[in-house]
Amino acid sequence: MRQPGAYSNLLSGGKMGPHSLPLARIKKIMKKSGEDVKMISGEAPIVFSKACELFIEELTKRAWAMTLQRKTRTMHKEDVAAAVMETDIFDFLVGLVSHTPNPSATLES
Amino acid sequence: MKRDRDDFEDDEKPQIGSSSRTPYTISPDTTTSSYPKSTTNQNPYASKNNNNNNNKEQDRFLPIANVGRIMKKVIPGNGKISKDAKETVQECVSEFISFVTGEASDKCQREKRKTINGDDILWAITTLGFEDYVNPLKIYLAKYRDIEGEKLNVPKQQPMEQQQQQQQQPMHQDQNSPNLPYNSVYSAANLISQPPFVPGDPPFPLPFSQSSIQTGSLPQHDHVDDHW
Repeated sequence: MRQPGAYSNLLSGGKMGPHSLPLARIKKIMKKSGEDVKMISGEAPIVFSKACELFIEELTKRAWAMTLQRKTRTMHKEDVAAAVMETDIFDFLVGLVSHTPNPSATLES
Repeated sequence: MKRDRDDFEDDEKPQIGSSSRTPYTISPDTTTSSYPKSTTNQNPYASKNNNNNNNKEQDRFLPIANVGRIMKKVIPGNGKISKDAKETVQECVSEFISFVTGEASDKCQREKRKTINGDDILWAITTLGFEDYVNPLKIYLAKYRDIEGEKLNVPKQQPMEQQQQQQQQPMHQDQNSPNLPYNSVYSAANLISQPPFVPGDPPFPLPFSQSSIQTGSLPQHDHVDDHW
């Protein structure tokens, strides 16, 4: 029998359920990434749930640095965009942050 | 198409007159002007998120509440995050998933494998420059595998104290039944001298003895015979 706290140890916060991001949704997004994506092992969304958490944390920290440069305490989209521009590994996001001036714009692809 | 539709259980409701369309295209029936946001459609995201020409679009992103929660963790307590910042990060995460999955999928194709597994994701993440993530991810995956493995191995338990007491009882009880029942409390594990609790790989303390799990072929009879 596993201990009650077994899964919560896996999370940095430990406050949420076993995985803080919904696995089914992750799987859907994975499937949409290409026609060739057919079979996904059970572990892959699990890895992604943690990877996305790390990604969000990194992007947010960098964006917050931009926010502080503007001498304010509220993060805006422009701070996220600036963080993307500044970070090499976020190059794949450059098109995304400069193309979405308005959330109700037409869908890409 | 019906099968695809079944996949979208909580986020997508069938559109009127669009049952034959693929789930990913915006049909003329669902432009913003005619799209019933909150009357016939019970999608919880429809009213909360104006990012919604089509509620199917929400399937493209992770829930904004989850994203926002993770973001909040890494900024100071008095910091604030605007909604557009959260939405932007939400979109970026989906792009990240697509980006990494694409690389992993290419690798599987090159190696003629059909299933993308956790290691492929780790490889893609490293290749794309996020190698700092790999160590925490490996630890996370290992713990997950451990827990899942333990779930499969858990047998019917006996309390540990009971097992230890019975270890000390005289063996003459076996005289009556030289053939020990296989599930007797005199499991071979108790007869073999070893510590009742084997602290080993599991990172979490376990209430049961791992040694009691062993039910392979055991020389139970030999042990009994040795005493007589």
